[in-house]
Amino acid sequence: MSTTLQHPSDGSGIAGHGAFFQPTNLSPADAAKATAWVEKHVDRRTLGLGERMDDVREHMWQLEKEGEIIVHRVTDAHRPVDVKTLFGWNKKIPTLQLWHHKSCGQCGNIPGYPTALLWTMNKLGHVPGRDYLDETDQTSCTAWNYHGSGIGNLESLAAVFLRNFHQAYVSGKQHGHELGHFFPLVHCGTSYGNYKEVRKYLIEMPQLRERVKKILAKLGRLVDGKLVIPEEIVHYSEWVHVMRNRIASELQTIDVSHLRTTVHTACHYYKMVHEDAIYDDTVLGGNRTAVGTSIAQALGAQVIDYSTWYDCCGFGFRHIISEREFTRSFTMDRKIKVAREEANADVMLGIDTGCITTMDKNQWIGKAHGQNYSMPIMADIQFAALACGADPFKIVQLQWHASPCEEVVEKMGVSWLAAKQNFEAYLKEVEAGRIEYLYDPALAISK
Amino acid sequence: MAAPAATAGKPTASYAEMCEVVEDIKSDLRYEHELNGCLNCGICTATCPSAHFYDFSPREIVQLLWTENVEQIYDAMQEKIWACAQCMTCAARCPFKNSPGGLIAIMREVSIKHGMQSAKDVLRPFGRVMLKLITTGNQLSPDMIQPDHFPDWGPNIQKVQGDLKTLRMAIPVRTLQTTATAWEVSLKTSVEMYTIWEMTGVLKSLETMDENLYDVIEDFIDEKREEYEDQLAEQSDKP
Repeated sequence: MSTTLQHPSDGSGIAGHGAFFQPTNLSPADAAKATAWVEKHVDRRTLGLGERMDDVREHMWQLEKEGEIIVHRVTDAHRPVDVKTLFGWNKKIPTLQLWHHKSCGQCGNIPGYPTALLWTMNKLGHVPGRDYLDETDQTSCTAWNYHGSGIGNLESLAAVFLRNFHQAYVSGKQHGHELGHFFPLVHCGTSYGNYKEVRKYLIEMPQLRERVKKILAKLGRLVDGKLVIPEEIVHYSEWVHVMRNRIASELQTIDVSHLRTTVHTACHYYKMVHEDAIYDDTVLGGNRTAVGTSIAQALGAQVIDYSTWYDCCGFGFRHIISEREFTRSFTMDRKIKVAREEANADVMLGIDTGCITTMDKNQWIGKAHGQNYSMPIMADIQFAALACGADPFKIVQLQWHASPCEEVVEKMGVSWLAAKQNFEAYLKEVEAGRIEYLYDPALAISK
Repeated sequence: MAAPAATAGKPTASYAEMCEVVEDIKSDLRYEHELNGCLNCGICTATCPSAHFYDFSPREIVQLLWTENVEQIYDAMQEKIWACAQCMTCAARCPFKNSPGGLIAIMREVSIKHGMQSAKDVLRPFGRVMLKLITTGNQLSPDMIQPDHFPDWGPNIQKVQGDLKTLRMAIPVRTLQTTATAWEVSLKTSVEMYTIWEMTGVLKSLETMDENLYDVIEDFIDEKREEYEDQLAEQSDKP
């Protein structure tokens, strides 16, 4: 230990710390060593998690060994790509043989979301019925209602989760595949967060497993008398994240390097069971979750930061329906206005249902308070599909958006008017029963 | 902005009734997971969107539960818990790994179980959504998101005018060519979901909240079950 004192130890303390503060009197070398130790242990990537944080997947293997559950595995057939999550844990993202678990908000309100995703898969050579399945045998996760109203409970959420994921597990059978062929790909951020939370409770609580097992038995939704639980819960934006370089290198036809994008990542993607969200050192320095941003970067668009990145959109579940003044005010004050003034963005990209609905629909009303801010709002996959040459109406379905999406389409060099006229002509074909499909409609019917 | 859905006057409940409410909250399986301690640091409130606009603080809710302040917990359940936007930013930030948003979800469930008038008042405008969800498994549907229902979304709510059915048929995915549900849900799926609602007490909660809505839903479920039975019978008759 050096004898050189850093600070007097006469009890006078150091400014700002109070008289009780006692200096350590460490040498600069020792101080650096001590600081390095602290940094090593505090940095979230090397945090000694110990008993503070369990990886629920490890307990799943144990429960499977004990004969309680069947783990729906991500196998080599799913062509998984490994990614790192918040604490540096590994997560396997399947890229093939996917069971599309739809979102009620997206399908009801932003249909360009799922259509852009399926179109991108087709372009990458995925074969419907073999490489993906979109079918009628699924309910929503029911969590929008739960978060909004409190009608519902842990048991009902868990039973819905297990029912839908059991269907994903057995769905391949109808199409001549093995059990577990299709792996669920969850479209909605709230479904994703909710399912992860419910899975954690199911693994940690034998009482809950016992209760829901009776329900699943009655529904005929057990396999060999066991609950089926997926190895990973995967959000579509995670699929987009791992496919981003292929999308950019194989499919992109439009230069978007002149476009200024901002990103709003859904709270329920990275704030619920946050240890499972993807972080990547090459995206935003690994300081924020990578999804959403990574595809914009891969496409060559500019990603502009803004100070309220971490804020929610103001959706509120019940609020957007029946307490809209909160939703409008929050989304204008904390997202649209800030992204416009600070980032001057050409487009805001989201990765979830509620956020896009909230930010897309609540711009016009801002005028009532003199807030004349507007900005195109769409999903990352809609933006990617546009950059890959998808039709803004037939595929990206921007006709359902209230925000000025035409501005960003025009900036991509695509004539909005010509595309609109083309679509209006197509509507006549639709009325005559001549409808274009992304997959054979018969595949959708669950038997 | 005032806290949402203010109820007229103070609710009346005996101390014993309030204790029962608090015990119901504490006996929820999740309670021990969601509440681990509280430093009063307030980071939850600092990041809370609802705290910007309402007389609401997640820190206060956690403190009330942590200190088991029975009267104040009961009081907070009358209005404050309904301000929460359920974004779970608080849960991601809390150094104690508390989930104030998760605790509020439990409190909301309990307020419904006890048939609190405040919950009834808050949820009345949400009835149409609950009807849709419970009967179809979809939260909302294209025919609910029409310009007439959302005048505040502006005149540009849709960029192509036309018949909703035709516009939905122009979506190149079979499951989405619907107007009364977000996607086409098979009858078997819906019937399975009704069993889940029944066996988990969801329908009972609904009955406590709104008896008329419950009756409508019960009739709907009976009808769908009969339809499903007929479908099964028809299938078994086929050679």
